[in-house]
Amino acid sequence: MAFSPGVDPCDECEKLLQPYLDKQLSDSELAEAEAHLEVCAYCRKRYVFEEKLRMFVRQAAVEEMPPDLKQKLAELRTPLF
Amino acid sequence: MGETTPEPDPRKLAEEARDRVRFEEEALDLADQVYRVARRLVSTREEAEDLMQETYARAFRAWRSFQPGTNLRAWLLRILTNLNIDRGRRQQRSPDLQPLEEGDYYLYNRLEESGREPNADQDRVDERLSQDDVVSALSAVPHDFRDVIVLVDIGDFSYADAAQILEIPIGTVMSRLHRGRRILKQELAEQTVETA
Repeated sequence: MAFSPGVDPCDECEKLLQPYLDKQLSDSELAEAEAHLEVCAYCRKRYVFEEKLRMFVRQAAVEEMPPDLKQKLAELRTPLF
Repeated sequence: MGETTPEPDPRKLAEEARDRVRFEEEALDLADQVYRVARRLVSTREEAEDLMQETYARAFRAWRSFQPGTNLRAWLLRILTNLNIDRGRRQQRSPDLQPLEEGDYYLYNRLEESGREPNADQDRVDERLSQDDVVSALSAVPHDFRDVIVLVDIGDFSYADAAQILEIPIGTVMSRLHRGRRILKQELAEQTVETA
């Protein structure tokens, strides 16, 4: 598998980065991306970085719920009697 | 002769009370997860707390409209995002007005240019970006894009769930996510590289 002739394969690979990490590529696109990543350290480094960036953003953005808020929410429940 | 109101069936009432209690408990069990998303949809902790309370008050009132067996977390978030929009906390900006964002390799390339390039073998994002950088960059992403990033990348919702929560087509979720992540990386680059 190879990207379209006459097009920079790294540009093609960059376009597939997001859908690759989202597991949204077709079988043929996946094979193209993986074949290129196998031989291209430039793209490989950027793919690894992006994957780690996503994990970091997920962790960094988390702020735990203040402990008293859960109690306030529980007080909104319908009284049984 | 006046008509008499039939007495409610006690067994039915007990059954309904049990269903309601179960619903409320399940909704409260999800509060931590709902809060994590709520917190990043709005600017301050106070706004997030208000929004959570309004959401749960409405959810407890409307519990009968929840279909058991469907995704309760998505149902709660749908109420929450609607309330957030209704209360005018968001200043909607049209996606078309946003500047064209850079490519997907942009942040890495900027870090590399600035001499903060990671060693590929021990590439540690947290050595180059701080939690504050991420929070601040995320809050600078326009709402339309941020909502989708928060739901998918932080709330771990599928594209389909995010589409349902935000009441937009799935194709719009995908395009906003794609552009939103690029804008986020641009913001991160500005904060981490240009202020270095």
